[in-house]
Amino acid sequence: MLKRTKRRYLALQVESTVAVDQTQLMSALWNAITKLYGEHGASQTGLTLIKYDPDEKLAVVRTNNTALNMTRASIATIIKIEEKPVAIHVLTVSGTIKALHKNLRQ
Amino acid sequence: MKRQYADLHLTPNIRDFQQVSAIVSKAAQLGYHLIALPFPPNTTQEELKQIQTACKEAKLDLATRIDLKPRTPNDLTYNLRKFRRKFEIIAVICESKNVARQAAKDHRVDLLSFPSTDFRQRFFDMAEAELASESQASLEINTRPLLTLEGPARSRLLASLRKEAAIAKGFKVPIIISSGTSNELLMRKPQEQAVLAQLFDLDRECALDAVSRNPNRIVTRNRQKLSPKFIAPGIRLVKKGKDC
Repeated sequence: MLKRTKRRYLALQVESTVAVDQTQLMSALWNAITKLYGEHGASQTGLTLIKYDPDEKLAVVRTNNTALNMTRASIATIIKIEEKPVAIHVLTVSGTIKALHKNLRQ
Repeated sequence: MKRQYADLHLTPNIRDFQQVSAIVSKAAQLGYHLIALPFPPNTTQEELKQIQTACKEAKLDLATRIDLKPRTPNDLTYNLRKFRRKFEIIAVICESKNVARQAAKDHRVDLLSFPSTDFRQRFFDMAEAELASESQASLEINTRPLLTLEGPARSRLLASLRKEAAIAKGFKVPIIISSGTSNELLMRKPQEQAVLAQLFDLDRECALDAVSRNPNRIVTRNRQKLSPKFIAPGIRLVKKGKDC
């Protein structure tokens, strides 16, 4: 029987001196994963953007639980978006969006 | 018990207080409890006090560190004699095999660092690990090149680190994961550092120990040794007076 895929939600804080839009953010995330793990590895992550607030520079993304470490490592390796220096920090990880918001509020 | 995270290698320009202050507050914000900055040997007490105050304000513990870059083994022993009692952490940047072997043998050395990304210039092999395990030296791995390198260069570095980490684990040489950066944007949270360490096949527990337990152990051990009450390993002065 097909096993249900467990997912994890990550709250990300983008740190940069310039504005970053959601297309640039997602393309940076996919590029980082592809560079580090290749296209096969990237296909296992199931990375999806749930929401992004460009003013707060706060993003919520979803990934497969089995590829959580791959996603986190790839996020840590991002140092530039469109040739501008950035850093992306994982604020919290959770199994549900509700719990993620609860953790963020704490 | 909750882990207390440490970054033993942040490299701001000590003379630039603004940069030091920015790095210190960033480290506190990222969740570190202890940081170490490499000080030049001619650092004045005033400069040190100023940085200590900045760390205290950010609720961070500061450890003093010196990076030795000796050309010969004799050079290394001379510098160790000169600086061991002045700094809490001594790291040796090994750029030749002779120096690497001497550093691994000497119990006064805390960290062995191999900065080169060229695998021919990295001397952490089995012989080195065996010597290091006897002298309590640790292997320091900086994550900065993992972030800045790309493509085949990063792949080759990861392959070297994977081999070194496996050897260190086999000989029970503690591994320390540090940033090795002077740029705030290249600093990562301790958990992210641990995840980066998993890229070279460290398991989760080992990776977390490399950013918490192992560095804290070195600093605690050296602080005890530098304390005026220390006599020998396991022996310390409890009371002094005529009634003893």
